Amino acid sequence: MRIAAGVDVGSTQTKAVIMSDNGGLNIVARALMDTGANVQRAAERAFDTCCQQADLHSGDVGFVVGTGYGRYKIAFGNTQMTEITCHAKGASFLCPGTRTVIDMGGQDSKAISIGADGEVLDFVMNDKCAAGTGRFLANAAEVMGISLDEIGPLSLQAKHPVKIATVCTVFVESDILSYLAQGKSGEDILGGVHTAIAKRTLSLARRLNIEPEITMTGGVARNVGMVHALEEVIGRKMLVSPDAQFIGAVGAALFALEKLGQSFEFGIWRGDHATSGGH
Amino acid sequence: MSDKKEYRGSIHQQQKNLMLAWYDQLDRAANTGDPPTVSMMISGNCVELLEGFGAVPIYPEVNALQLAIRHQSLDPILAAEDLGYAADNCAYVKADIGCILKGITPTGGKLPTPTLILCNFVGCNTYLKWFEHTAKLQKAPLYVIDVPFMRADTPSRSDVEYVVKQLQETVKKLEQLTGRKFDHDRFRQAVECSSRSEELWSQIKHLARRSPSPFDAYFDAITLMGPLYVYRARPEGVEFFEAALAELQAKSDAGKGVYEQEHFRLVMEGPPPYPYFRTFRDMFAKWQACAVASTYSTVGGLWEFGFRHDPDKPFESVAMHMIAQNVTNRNFLQRYEQIRRYVEDWNADGVIIHFVKSCRLFSAGQGDMRDYFTKQLGVPTLYIESDLEDPRYFAEAQTKNRIDAFFEALEHAKATAPVRA
Repeated sequence: MRIAAGVDVGSTQTKAVIMSDNGGLNIVARALMDTGANVQRAAERAFDTCCQQADLHSGDVGFVVGTGYGRYKIAFGNTQMTEITCHAKGASFLCPGTRTVIDMGGQDSKAISIGADGEVLDFVMNDKCAAGTGRFLANAAEVMGISLDEIGPLSLQAKHPVKIATVCTVFVESDILSYLAQGKSGEDILGGVHTAIAKRTLSLARRLNIEPEITMTGGVARNVGMVHALEEVIGRKMLVSPDAQFIGAVGAALFALEKLGQSFEFGIWRGDHATSGGH
Repeated sequence: MSDKKEYRGSIHQQQKNLMLAWYDQLDRAANTGDPPTVSMMISGNCVELLEGFGAVPIYPEVNALQLAIRHQSLDPILAAEDLGYAADNCAYVKADIGCILKGITPTGGKLPTPTLILCNFVGCNTYLKWFEHTAKLQKAPLYVIDVPFMRADTPSRSDVEYVVKQLQETVKKLEQLTGRKFDHDRFRQAVECSSRSEELWSQIKHLARRSPSPFDAYFDAITLMGPLYVYRARPEGVEFFEAALAELQAKSDAGKGVYEQEHFRLVMEGPPPYPYFRTFRDMFAKWQACAVASTYSTVGGLWEFGFRHDPDKPFESVAMHMIAQNVTNRNFLQRYEQIRRYVEDWNADGVIIHFVKSCRLFSAGQGDMRDYFTKQLGVPTLYIESDLEDPRYFAEAQTKNRIDAFFEALEHAKATAPVRA
């Protein structure tokens, strides 16, 4: 039995999973925590939590792949890969048939076209602008004094969603305050916020060939309002795994297992030694 | 294996010596008024004409990029913004204006007030305002050569005549300003020198068609571009490119490339982020990815497809070069075609498009360009954004992430291609 781990250090949250190939590929433990200021510590804590859950010592884990923006800070990791490659791999595993991944994380959003083997064919990402990311929704929730977990369900109750003119994470606050001053309901405002972000994300994804199945990944996939709004603008259902937030870490763990089995011969590992120091 | 590779042959030192000698000439001009100097833009530069007066070019873009590569561009940019230049103005403009305001030069030596500011308006309409502003700030005479955009595959006869007429007017203007008679023989010799330099440069570019390429046709080509724009019309330029060709040819004949193993061959579109030049290069070096062709190395002249200055038609060939043989004056379809030829003839694995935030004119449409290569031609194409001069636009983690993801995908595609074929 091989045991491997994937650790996805995102801008907002750090995710870790441990997987084994005992009787098929299985997720045996998962952990999620805020990244905070100490990226290295967050990665260690997430990994340690996973080990405790699985009743394993860290030495039992044969290979660790780090991914996400903080991947080079994972001192115990054996190698690093981008979350783009890992999300594609993870989505293909958890949601078979996936050809398009829409990933909405804390500070970036991306669309990935993937092939039958879960390989990346093409990708696009937001650039130096937090529009279309979890941060936009977090700001909207904060302005309205509602928790992030509540905004999705509330947005589904919108009867007459307002039109949010901006997709700027900063200026959305003044838009929301203006609607609040006009007496618009929180539900209608949140309905507008989710639709605005969905349209923004769709325009990003349209730079690729959007082909079904479409799978949503990242922390924002937990937001039912966002999933609904995206399905509305895309015009079709998306696949959302209960492990949507862990998909990057799952992809990383799958690569780690392949590495252990030496079945992965595509040479992505070539970057290993070049990236292992100096970051 | 080191992931930091750079071509460091003897020509690197020769290039440095030539460029320092150029700055020395400019310093001397600032102190003594001799030689006469002409400020103009790289694209469509008519350095051959200057030789007819023994005049030396000043290239504000070269000064700006020299500052950026030495991490000194932000101060002059901020000085220009203090004056009222907007955040999204061309950062080259702001760096140049800031340098004039603050008396900054790349080498610490002096730069002269140009004898003439020659706005050889090619492709970039920002240059009109840029050179108007520098003329006003430096109290220098300004003359604009209006070079028509490429509107068809080849320039019309009337377009060429239009530019030739303006070149002849420039000659008269320079005769008045320098007090020197235009030396036609020297001009013709300069055109002859250019023709020879261009042939050598073209041969160097074609060496990159070999695998492995003996030099990086983006990062290393930039080293060779300085002499190309300043010296190509002089015997020193010809000598330099003879030495460069011999050195690179020998390297290639010995089977040596930029990397011990050349894993990827790329075509690069757009200028580099000069404030992070080394960092950017290392992001490609990590993957042993070598640029085998680049559009940026054709901003000052596109010679690898056969064009040469013609000593039998000196004015006409200078005009042809200004109109048709530099990438910034070419229409988008021609830019597509240029890159497509590179991908096919130089056998590239993918295209990297570097979008320059503060250059709307050249960068606008690059999203469509990406679509053309990915969707219509099936060429893996990466689109990244920063700036060529302003360090504030460079996000290292984001850029690195995109580049790594691109190569991870390319690696997979290359490894599986034979299986699927």
